[in-house]
Amino acid sequence: MSQMGFYFDQTRCTGCYTCAVACKDWHDLPAGSVNWMRVRAIEKGTFPNIFVAYLILPCCHCADPPCVRVCPADAILKRESDGIVVVDQEKCLGQDECGGPCLKACPWDAPQFDQVDNAKMQKCNFCLQRLEKGQQTICVEACPMHALDAGPLQDLRAKYGEVSEAEGYAYSERFKPSMTFNPKLWHKGD
Amino acid sequence: MEVSFKSRLIKILLMLVERPQAFNKPMEKAEKMWGEKFTSAENDVTIVPTGCCHDCGGRCVLKAHVKDGKIIRFETDDGEEPQIRACLRGRAYRQRVYSPDRLKYPLRRVGERGAGKFERISWDEALDTVAAELKRIKETYGNSAIFLAGGSGNQGILHGPIPVGAMLQAFGGFTRTWGSPSYEGALFASMATYGTIRTGNSRDDLFKSRLVILWGWNPANTIWDPETAMTLAKVREKGVKMVAVDPRYTDTVTTFADQWIPIRPGTDAAMLIAMAHVIISEDLQDQAFIEKYTVGFDKYKEYLLGHEDGVPKTPSWAEEITSVPAEVIVGLAREYATSKPAALIAGWGPARAAMGEQYSRAANVLTAITGNIGINGGYASGFMRAYSSRETSSGTRGSRNPVEKGAPPRKYSLHKLRGGTNPNSARIHFSKVFDAILRGRAGGYPNDLKMAYVVASNFINQFPNTHKGVEAFKALEFVVVHEQFMTPTAKLGDIVLPANTFMERTDIAPPWLGSPYYIYLNKAIDSLYESKSDLEISLELSKKLGVSHPMDSATDDDILRFISSRRSDIRDYEAMKQDGVLKIKIEEPVVSFKEQIQDPENNPFPTPSGKIEIFCEHLEEMNNPLIPPIPKYIGHPESYDAPLAAKYPLQLLTTHYKTRAHSIWHNVPWMREVEPHAVWINTIDAKERGIGDGDLVDVYNDRGRIRIPAKVTERIMPGVVNVSEGAWYDPDDQGVDHGGCANVLTNDDHSPGGAVHVNSSLVQVELAPRR
Repeated sequence: MSQMGFYFDQTRCTGCYTCAVACKDWHDLPAGSVNWMRVRAIEKGTFPNIFVAYLILPCCHCADPPCVRVCPADAILKRESDGIVVVDQEKCLGQDECGGPCLKACPWDAPQFDQVDNAKMQKCNFCLQRLEKGQQTICVEACPMHALDAGPLQDLRAKYGEVSEAEGYAYSERFKPSMTFNPKLWHKGD
Repeated sequence: MEVSFKSRLIKILLMLVERPQAFNKPMEKAEKMWGEKFTSAENDVTIVPTGCCHDCGGRCVLKAHVKDGKIIRFETDDGEEPQIRACLRGRAYRQRVYSPDRLKYPLRRVGERGAGKFERISWDEALDTVAAELKRIKETYGNSAIFLAGGSGNQGILHGPIPVGAMLQAFGGFTRTWGSPSYEGALFASMATYGTIRTGNSRDDLFKSRLVILWGWNPANTIWDPETAMTLAKVREKGVKMVAVDPRYTDTVTTFADQWIPIRPGTDAAMLIAMAHVIISEDLQDQAFIEKYTVGFDKYKEYLLGHEDGVPKTPSWAEEITSVPAEVIVGLAREYATSKPAALIAGWGPARAAMGEQYSRAANVLTAITGNIGINGGYASGFMRAYSSRETSSGTRGSRNPVEKGAPPRKYSLHKLRGGTNPNSARIHFSKVFDAILRGRAGGYPNDLKMAYVVASNFINQFPNTHKGVEAFKALEFVVVHEQFMTPTAKLGDIVLPANTFMERTDIAPPWLGSPYYIYLNKAIDSLYESKSDLEISLELSKKLGVSHPMDSATDDDILRFISSRRSDIRDYEAMKQDGVLKIKIEEPVVSFKEQIQDPENNPFPTPSGKIEIFCEHLEEMNNPLIPPIPKYIGHPESYDAPLAAKYPLQLLTTHYKTRAHSIWHNVPWMREVEPHAVWINTIDAKERGIGDGDLVDVYNDRGRIRIPAKVTERIMPGVVNVSEGAWYDPDDQGVDHGGCANVLTNDDHSPGGAVHVNSSLVQVELAPRR
């Protein structure tokens, strides 16, 4: 199998949130509910020596996803063909029922629950329906800065390098998230 | 007047989903789930190429996926480079079109004006009322009493204020504004220095620069066009050093700058002037260039050295004013003068301040004395970049509006030049319209205004001093508004007419200030509810007024085809329509003033002297110390060091916001959750006031008070707060605005050249009273 993953060029990200909004539009997710793609702003230092970076957080489609392990209903599945982690909402017990161990287990809070009674888990599905038609994920297609890419992880690593950490993002040896980065570094005192 | 809907569209039937092979049982289930969900649904989806063309600067590609007459989602440009990818605003367009708050029917005010109570009426009744009021005002007061409050909310050719202006002109004329809240200071300075607004080089030329200075310019949030930020990223990646001068650590500073120089708002001219002092003191100027292409360097030198006023404009002098350390000013001056070619791109924001013309003039002159004009990798700082698919108007050549006919030029206008702002004295500076409504001719204004025709504008929200605006609009005899939503301005209407959106009509949008492309907006869906386009409304109203509208009796397509035929860069109208976008290939980077520099004998600058005017005689003739012939640093009543600062010690900035194009998208939920509207305040200022991040605070001065959350951050310098413009005014009984409209606080003065003073507004911040 060829594991799918994301590349994120943190040095190019202007924090515009276009990826997040395009995701919401494509997957028809209302405001105030769930965020399959999240953008985090990181601010460090004291005026005038400061550092700002943005970090995208979709689902990392881990090689060994903790959410799959902890789901009591086996509702979270890792596709063997491409390693994409998907949720079977029919099987999902719902957050009130099971307490959402998937969310607790994920270091990056990828599992999302809407603010409704016994919400079923949902999250980034790597735009599976687009992928099946040979199209890029909507976030990659949307990024005005071309700071995002998605595809077989080994191809991304060959193209962009193998960097598994970025500002605000810690790698997990246990779960092996399918992400590679061009991280932004803070050159203090420049 | 509509040609067949179907003929306009490109129908693309999506391919059936091909399901990948399953490997085992659970996987098969996982894949089947997703496969089935999208097979049947996609067959009847039509993709309509259209765009998002409001006044943020970008004109971007949107591909609307239409199913059963409804847009279900969007894609953007995935075609050839450069891609014109829509930003978050465009991607959220569905929540504008299908907002439950869309105005659905014509409305008539019931109760007091501004109370926000309306009743539904028919189009016929609404237009009869508007026509009757227009006729009554005309007969009673003359056409000059009709004020066209036309805004920039629509950047198409067929809609917005254009068809309304044409109608009112045919009806005998109207009063309008001069100046722009965005750029009037920068425009004036560009005209005075170069005699034109076509300055700078095309973005691709930045690869040839050895240094790029981004001065008060935030293209990461203000979308000049999608290409600008992308090019800056690539130029940075190539290793070109970038320095940003800005009171805020913006997303532009974050992404592109190697060095950030925070500067006190309103003092940029002082730093630029001190940089010139360093350059001439160290003999780093390009003397040959100065002698060949400029006039008045010696007079500027006199000012710099203090021979004129006894104050040498040294870096230490500027440090006191700007708060930028003298050694930083010296460093940047040396680096700029010795890194030729270098691009100093001076944004408009610092010129949206008192004496903003001086900042822009000082920047333009600095690019001249270092010889960074007319060469690859340089950049003639000024109004805009060199390429323009939007032709600049002849400006000064009179007016066809009967109200303006024969009016002499305004006192402090550059009326001797061609182009630029129309100097007609029958126009009112936009920041003084509210005052003009209240005081009229008795107050020294050209006309007494009795009614406002508002189109594509959230006028009271987006022009300085909103409370005065409300008072003024309440004083009018009649207000008609074309709108999509019940904005704070629409609330002041007597008749509110529901306007449709880009998705519901056809148009062409030329890009903002000179990107080489056009967006063709194909109509994607029928008009929702009873809404109509601005053009449709104007045509129907013209009939009721008994005037002949110049855009009548032709289809939209005919008009667009005709307009296109007059633009030399549109060669294939049909292809543009089919693709929804026309990208114009440019052989090599466009460098403004290349001809003037390479062959000055045959190509003088379009100034009276034929040269770059460091000293401008046209300005000297005005004999006004606030608009001197050489760039100077000049204080004003809301300077950081003015007496008023004892009461209101914080300087307010009213920048653009990433989730809005001015006031558009304010009411879109997807935008509101991205980054909620808040006042940026430095940690030090917040601590002094007991304010924590997220606390509800009051920002206030004598003009008004707004109540919004605080964003406590190191990203803004101490002494400065930022409330991005565009949030909707929402006052309570006491007049406290809970919407956070920046213009409740802004200064409605303007400098002689037209620079608006919005970024020269002093305020205080305190915790909001606990409930």
